Amino acid sequence: MMRRMTRLVDHQTIWPWLLLLPLAVYLLVFFAVPLIEVLKMSVTEPKPGLGNYQKVFTGALYGKVFLNTFGTATLVTVCCLIVGYPLAYLMSNTTPRRAMMILLLITMSFWTSFLVRTYAWMVLLGNNGPIIWLIEMIGIADPPGLLFTRFSSTLAMVHILAPYMIMNIYSVMKKIDPVLIRSAESMGARGGSLFRHIYLPLTAPGIANGAVLVFVICLGFYVTPVLLGSPREQMVAGLIGNQIEQFLAFGLGSAMAVVLLVITLIVLGIYHSRFGLDKLWG
Amino acid sequence: MSNSTRSKLIRPSRRQFLHGTAALAAGTLAAPSIGRAQSKELYVNSWGGPWLEAATASLFDPFTAATGIKVNTVSPVSFAKLAAQVRTGVYEFDVTTLGGGDIIAANNAGLLEDIDSPYDGGLFQNGVASHAFSTVIAWRTDKYEEAPQNWADFWDVERFPGGRSLQRYAARVLPLALLADGVAMEDLYPLDIERAFAKLDEIKPHIRVWWTAGAQSTQILRDGEIDMIGIWHGRYFEAEDAGAPVAMTWNQSEVDRAYWVVAKNTPNMDAAKEFVKFATSPEPLAGFATLGNYGALNPAALEFVPDEAKPRMPTSPDNYANAFEQDMANWGGDPQEVALRFDEWLAT
Repeated sequence: MMRRMTRLVDHQTIWPWLLLLPLAVYLLVFFAVPLIEVLKMSVTEPKPGLGNYQKVFTGALYGKVFLNTFGTATLVTVCCLIVGYPLAYLMSNTTPRRAMMILLLITMSFWTSFLVRTYAWMVLLGNNGPIIWLIEMIGIADPPGLLFTRFSSTLAMVHILAPYMIMNIYSVMKKIDPVLIRSAESMGARGGSLFRHIYLPLTAPGIANGAVLVFVICLGFYVTPVLLGSPREQMVAGLIGNQIEQFLAFGLGSAMAVVLLVITLIVLGIYHSRFGLDKLWG
Repeated sequence: MSNSTRSKLIRPSRRQFLHGTAALAAGTLAAPSIGRAQSKELYVNSWGGPWLEAATASLFDPFTAATGIKVNTVSPVSFAKLAAQVRTGVYEFDVTTLGGGDIIAANNAGLLEDIDSPYDGGLFQNGVASHAFSTVIAWRTDKYEEAPQNWADFWDVERFPGGRSLQRYAARVLPLALLADGVAMEDLYPLDIERAFAKLDEIKPHIRVWWTAGAQSTQILRDGEIDMIGIWHGRYFEAEDAGAPVAMTWNQSEVDRAYWVVAKNTPNMDAAKEFVKFATSPEPLAGFATLGNYGALNPAALEFVPDEAKPRMPTSPDNYANAFEQDMANWGGDPQEVALRFDEWLAT
């Protein structure tokens, strides 16, 4: 970052940086300052010291919820990959017209608000919803409740996050030179071997980008698990909300937020060391 | 961060701590009140729904007419925001209502302005008793032919199979578990916390939703997501009035008191105190209680309550005879500690 900055300042005028000034001020006031405030609260409330962090790392509940958050984020990432990879493949290997259509469908869902999509799942999966009705139609009496389970919250999160995965993989797949595939075939690579040795490594950056984005966004999910999930599978964001709302434990809530932030930064840091963060946005 | 929008269903105050965009919006909303002097305006924290309708008609509009002070409402009710605004000095609301559990915690934390009660016996922990509301047993009549009678029936998933829901609020739920376990209403307090948690273990697998907002409880009952629920009586009547096949019983209903409080050091102190006085005076309170089906707690208000409104009020003699009151002063433990334990219990 520093290297690039000096280079830019050296080779261009100062103007681009002046144009960035409002953004910098904005970020400082609305992002850096509150963040520092959160950091401060985590070590000063209710009394100075690291007591809050000790609680986060030793309390049975917090460990469990952090683990659950990671489990959920991993599960959602894997599901997004399973759903997204074939779809991206289809898009990159069909006529441009069809690819456009699929892209349009995906982005339409992407542009719909989180809340609308979450409520849509409530309606679809509800006891009086069409899915339960279908299950009953095929003869299963007394079907299990779908709503308020790990299944319903995971399904909705995969739906919300899959576009990130699909777009990332698709953009990489589009750039693969078909000549590479043909030459591999001419060398005798077939099916599984072709996929394993040629196609998969070539699409790996897309998978990594998509997975990191989905995983990191999922770590902070709040509304969807609260509205659709089971009370037993809480995520950290919901728990932080609870600490503050119910217990006025601003310090403990802040400490949990800081831990979540640090973990997220670690994930991004690992990604950065392997691939470079600047690639994350294509 | 994601999920930047939410509905009233879950109290959005949390998102403002969590989500940049929402926090920004709240920031801009709050901004005008920073420099708000002793203006002729008052900001009241609102529960929304039937509460707001009743309060607007019986409290806010008449108060404005009588004093010239304009009343604005801020939604949703947020205990955390009450604390945050005292901490930051940025006030979004001047007055709010608190239940018996929260008011003790709020007063201990120094969040409440000292106040005098406009009527005898109305003062509790710097709050003025306004109205009573109940947590009652309600169920789907299309699910059960036989009506459940009490909390023991609520716990009886053999006789009444089906999904359950309770409020995610330890102070209200623990007494219900003890009633289900056979403790008599008059012997509840101080609560036997261990016994209550042991009994809660039994119902836990059957609780599909621990509801956190009034509107949510109405919705899951009305839409049949659950078959039996512990629900605030006003929210129950909302579902009934919407034509849902539901019924309820006043038997073993749990009565809570709501108190008007003034946020500590609010710049609108005089108007705020004047409003609390007005809202708990006989006629406005009677109107509010009548419209919202609440039980008026100022005895002088009762003569203004029409008879036809009484069957839906938790404190009218027929209903109150089968009810018990939350006794927060003699609760049996530190409610905050128990709430933390309840949270841990939920997640395991």
